Amino acid sequence: MNAQAAMAPVTLHRALPPEEAARAHFYALLARLLKAPPDGALLHAIAAAPGLDGGGSGGLARAWGELVAASSVMDADAAAEEHEALFATMGKPVVSVFAGFYTGATPVAHPRVRVRSDLAALGLAPRADATEPEDHFGALFEAMRVLVEGGAGRGPATLDEQRRFFESHVRPAAGRFFAALGDAQPSNYYRKVAALGAAFVALEAESFSLD
Amino acid sequence: MKSTKSTTRRNFLLAAGLGGAGAVAAVATARKPATGAAKGAKVAQGPQGYRASEHVLKYYKTTEV
Repeated sequence: MNAQAAMAPVTLHRALPPEEAARAHFYALLARLLKAPPDGALLHAIAAAPGLDGGGSGGLARAWGELVAASSVMDADAAAEEHEALFATMGKPVVSVFAGFYTGATPVAHPRVRVRSDLAALGLAPRADATEPEDHFGALFEAMRVLVEGGAGRGPATLDEQRRFFESHVRPAAGRFFAALGDAQPSNYYRKVAALGAAFVALEAESFSLD
Repeated sequence: MKSTKSTTRRNFLLAAGLGGAGAVAAVATARKPATGAAKGAKVAQGPQGYRASEHVLKYYKTTEV
């Protein structure tokens, strides 16, 4: 065996630039808050988080500041009740958390089928223990997180790949979803989550148009 | 030019406040639901959290192809 054959392949991953890491963290946080209500540890962590650097009076910085403030006075039990009232009621939920609801999905070529297909093309698949359909916004944002920062055995996706997934599966429905979430009668803490989500998705849409 | 556009996008994100990853990174370590922190564990099977409710199961049935 020569030395070259004995060498294992080496993969080097460059550290993400801070703004790309922040995008991944925002996707992760939104996914987490939509999949389940914040527990005490998460509320405490958000409440203790600093403001966004250089955000000034921008929409994202303002929404982040309001979520931080709301997290400091919210308790986990109330958050759980609110999450249940918004998303997990029996029958028709107050707010649908599925992208297909907002895009007029039909059983044929349903968004979750296309999401699964596009994820497979990117070498990804839902976790075996995932309980939510692929077009659940929590799952879509988690997929974006992996595309931005890598994970699940792969590095970050190219910006073109990120843009395609975002434009195909997130952007068409996210604006209406966050508007519905913010307007829903049971929304209190989640009104702040909706404002943050709307501001972040708008920022993403604009940033993708710049490259 | 590609590099100019990339710089523009980066500047745009930085101006929006995404330069300080620490703000949101601080919550990243606490983002996992307490009931499902371990890899491979069932997430949120208790009274808190999202779960495969009857509504979701019905939704699945209506979207089968």
